[in-house]
Amino acid sequence: MDYKAQYSPGETKIAENRRKHMDPTFEFKKLRNIPDKDIVNVLGHRNPGENYKTVHPPLDEMDSEEDMMKDLVEPIQGAKEGVRIRYIQFADSMYNAPAQPYDRARTYMWRFRGVDTGTLSGRQVIEMRELDLERISKLLLETEFFDPAKSGLRGATVHGHSLRLDEDGLMFDALQRYLYDKKTNKISYVKDQVGRPLDEPVNVGEPMDEEYLKEITTIYRSDNVSMREDKEAIEVVGSIHEARTNGGFGLEVFKNDLKYKLGE
Amino acid sequence: MEEVKVIDVKIFPYRYLKPETTEKILNDLLELKGIVRVMINGESLPKIIGFGPAKGVNVNHSDRKVIKVKKKDIKLFISVGSIIITVELEKVNLFLKKLDNILLKRLNFKYEISAGIFTKNNTTVSDYLKYGVGFEEKIDYRMIGLVDPNARSKETVKLILGD
Repeated sequence: MDYKAQYSPGETKIAENRRKHMDPTFEFKKLRNIPDKDIVNVLGHRNPGENYKTVHPPLDEMDSEEDMMKDLVEPIQGAKEGVRIRYIQFADSMYNAPAQPYDRARTYMWRFRGVDTGTLSGRQVIEMRELDLERISKLLLETEFFDPAKSGLRGATVHGHSLRLDEDGLMFDALQRYLYDKKTNKISYVKDQVGRPLDEPVNVGEPMDEEYLKEITTIYRSDNVSMREDKEAIEVVGSIHEARTNGGFGLEVFKNDLKYKLGE
Repeated sequence: MEEVKVIDVKIFPYRYLKPETTEKILNDLLELKGIVRVMINGESLPKIIGFGPAKGVNVNHSDRKVIKVKKKDIKLFISVGSIIITVELEKVNLFLKKLDNILLKRLNFKYEISAGIFTKNNTTVSDYLKYGVGFEEKIDYRMIGLVDPNARSKETVKLILGD
């Protein structure tokens, strides 16, 4: 049978935005240009121009035992070359950031191969081979998936997603990794993602307009589009909730099983 | 102990305040009559990075700086999120009106002002849990619930004399 992926339930613009993120055929609008060198600097895992550190020899040179899975799955470039695994982590403000942790996790799974992603309430980490990570970071940072003011590139001390914004509309950051320049209306990173100062600031462009963010966000908010307005999404969440609750009680299955084992 | 009739007034701006704005608001505010004490609250800004790969590196946050309130230096360790002012009960109505005018002039975003009890007036179990039994002796009783008794009062408390 031929299935068509539905990605995410819902009939509002928020649900539509979520589907756009997850749909691998949808192309994100590119908003800014960040040179590769700057991305490497902001990630802070290696110096620009430095070779990738490896954890094993290239796969072609390795003698490994017969495994059907290895023939079936084509390794990503970083795995082929034995490059080590590194991460990029984002925090997204609740004030209508373009993405949010769950949306990010699902998007990463739909769009990229060879990722390990971890979802937390305020941050979302993606781990993969460093070589591929840099390629993906470029996509994540240059497109409308990222807003310099409401999303933050944060490896450690991520606190801020649920706090009020500051006077310039920036998400709170205790380490102040990025600064807003009122004259140029641009935001630039002065520290890498864990807070080590950079030699040169990395310009990540203008913050998005708040009205525009309301259009492209994937966050339901009562002052924008409330989740209660989205009947389909509520229905799906409701049915999952019900199934989980009933399932948690064992649907009488475990009880009978237990009785059987006790010899009753 | 002499009993005073006071009430707390809380300013809750919808954005975190920059030190410059805080300075202006506090200076305007302290001109008003009936203030007993002022507490500023907010999200703490570390001086050095406490954990992670960059542990020990200086943060140099531009909001962590000294502001001048009534010609006294006040070191800000926080991004100011709310200001709680204890006001004499009989002067509170006029105070609220004037405060609203100050905030209208100084802030270009929304804020909330509410009157009620926002500071502690009794020691509670959580205080004992946090600071240990017998902590009251280490601290001026007027500071209970306002400041961390283990912090140096030189840094956390500023006395500004009124008229």
